[in-house]
Amino acid sequence: METLGFLIDGFAVALTPYNLMYALFGAFVGTLIGCLPGLGPANGVAILIPLAFTLGLPPETSMILLTSVYAGAMYGGRISSILLNIPGDEPAMMTCLDGYPMAQKGRAADALAISAIASFSGGLIGTIGLIMLAPVLAKFALTFGPAEYFALFVLAFATLGGITGKNPMKTVIAAALGIMISTVGIDISTGTQRYTFGVLELYEGIDFILAIVGLFAISELLFFVESRLGSGHKKVNVGKLTLSFKELISTIPSQLRGGVLGFIAGVLPGAGASLGSFISYTLEKRAVGKKGNFGSGDIRGVVAPEAGNNGAASGALVPMLTLGVPGSGTTAVLLAMLISLNITPGPLMFTQNADIVWGVIAALLIGNVLLLLLNVPMIGVFVRLLSIPPMFLLPIVTMVAFVGIYSISNSTFDLYFMVAFGVAGYFLRKLEIPLVPIILGLLLGPEMEKNLGHALILSDGDWSTLWSSPLALGLWVVAGLGLALPVIVGPLLRRRMKSAMTENPVSD
Amino acid sequence: MSGLNDRVLGLGLLVLAVAYGWVAQQWPEPFGGSHGMGPETFPTILSVILIIGSLYLMVKPDQDTPWPWGKTALELLFSVIVLVIYALLLEPLGFVISTTLTVGALSWRMGAAPRSAFLTGLISAVVVYGLFNYGLSLSLPAGLLEFN
Repeated sequence: METLGFLIDGFAVALTPYNLMYALFGAFVGTLIGCLPGLGPANGVAILIPLAFTLGLPPETSMILLTSVYAGAMYGGRISSILLNIPGDEPAMMTCLDGYPMAQKGRAADALAISAIASFSGGLIGTIGLIMLAPVLAKFALTFGPAEYFALFVLAFATLGGITGKNPMKTVIAAALGIMISTVGIDISTGTQRYTFGVLELYEGIDFILAIVGLFAISELLFFVESRLGSGHKKVNVGKLTLSFKELISTIPSQLRGGVLGFIAGVLPGAGASLGSFISYTLEKRAVGKKGNFGSGDIRGVVAPEAGNNGAASGALVPMLTLGVPGSGTTAVLLAMLISLNITPGPLMFTQNADIVWGVIAALLIGNVLLLLLNVPMIGVFVRLLSIPPMFLLPIVTMVAFVGIYSISNSTFDLYFMVAFGVAGYFLRKLEIPLVPIILGLLLGPEMEKNLGHALILSDGDWSTLWSSPLALGLWVVAGLGLALPVIVGPLLRRRMKSAMTENPVSD
Repeated sequence: MSGLNDRVLGLGLLVLAVAYGWVAQQWPEPFGGSHGMGPETFPTILSVILIIGSLYLMVKPDQDTPWPWGKTALELLFSVIVLVIYALLLEPLGFVISTTLTVGALSWRMGAAPRSAFLTGLISAVVVYGLFNYGLSLSLPAGLLEFN
């Protein structure tokens, strides 16, 4: 019952009017980020980091703000899936399958309402899972030595491509590039200048925040310029809410199944929210069997993936908070915030920064309630904002990114750097080198090197210490599987996901 | 030849990896000797990993993704130049003027009518400037609009 006490303390942090205000603001902005095309959750959270900084927010408030944005983005993704058949973010892909047909039958309002409720229960189940699992995992992680940590970091990179990842070698290359960038600057343990080439601005290393914002925000702008998707969409009419109470009750089993499956998928390394919603949808389809009319507007086909991706979103926070190894792009960006707040992520955070951890968890619970309140009555506002054309939106977002980066250091040098990262990000995305491992490399690189150094000092320079303990060896094996499995299982799973999409062609 | 993208990328990465690894070998041994690990150990490992990765790319490249040529490439170049000029002029011209021009130019090139593009730029610039300077008391450069 120790956990309950911590949770109550967490509520005391999260329920202060100041933090509550930021949670509400975060939830609103998050939903917006989720529903607007061209503003992914990782991108949106990244842009907000420098702003949280310059506002001088205390650490727990910054984290509450960003976590609310993160949760909100998962809610928001469904809006354009349902109304436009365009997923607002990747995990919302499965929601298109039944959400759009429902909208075409004139039940858009119902689909939006029920998916908000499903998101809520998914988020709630996921957060409860997080509350139960995280302290246990954190306690277990306390037994990790430097060698285990080093293996864990390798595992994080190896599984990052996900089971559905395309070319694992490109993940490896991306991770190596990210870690390489993180080695620029003065070496902490010896004071050697590495790759600074005498440039004063490089002595402290490359600020990962500007790298993240550049890679995501600027490259996104360039992608939109290239694809000329600037003109936006027509305004959509939502119609009246006709959802009956009976119908709502009938979807409860789907909500529970979806939430639990999503949470599990979220916790597992390399799975993430996209897989969470996919698994929830397919298993729901199987569970209901022939009675359902999936693909042509079955309400359970909206409920299951939405509960799934919100459950997964909370689940993905488990490895990030307890081990300091995020499993997705957005949680990696959240980790960036933690590191820049000078908080060492990992098991010790649960004892040393208990107020922050539990404040964030409590904020997640409160955030879900706020999001439900925002998303049912205020849905009209978001729908209206959905019709903002990207040709106005993206330049403004880019400008906000500039403002954020500029206000951290008041130097234009950082801005050039950010643009350079943006151009690099564009080319890398064109060449199908994933960006998330680069970011994770930037974040985890210094920790990896530190743990490697500690392990080698403890063993007096004997490299076999890295895999001598059974736990470390186990982690290496899983990491190896993480790289090998996508090659074997990946094409199969991808084909299935694709056939699930084409099996139910959405008639226009 | 198919897979040219990845082969060129692989070659570039190979050069980078070798250079990165070579630079690491030039650092002097830190004072007091290294206990198992010096400043060059970790970069050397990374360099080896990247060399292997880049060789793999050259041997087994993925299918090519098409590159934008012609007009689209120019538009992209234009956007990047606008962003660089924005960074360049932010301090001398001040936030409001440079932002109006940048957001306006970008919106215009993305397909908005010039009038509404630059109007969007002006409005967003004034709103953000007001929010930062008066609401949050963080100063953005006023530039030409500064009155002393």
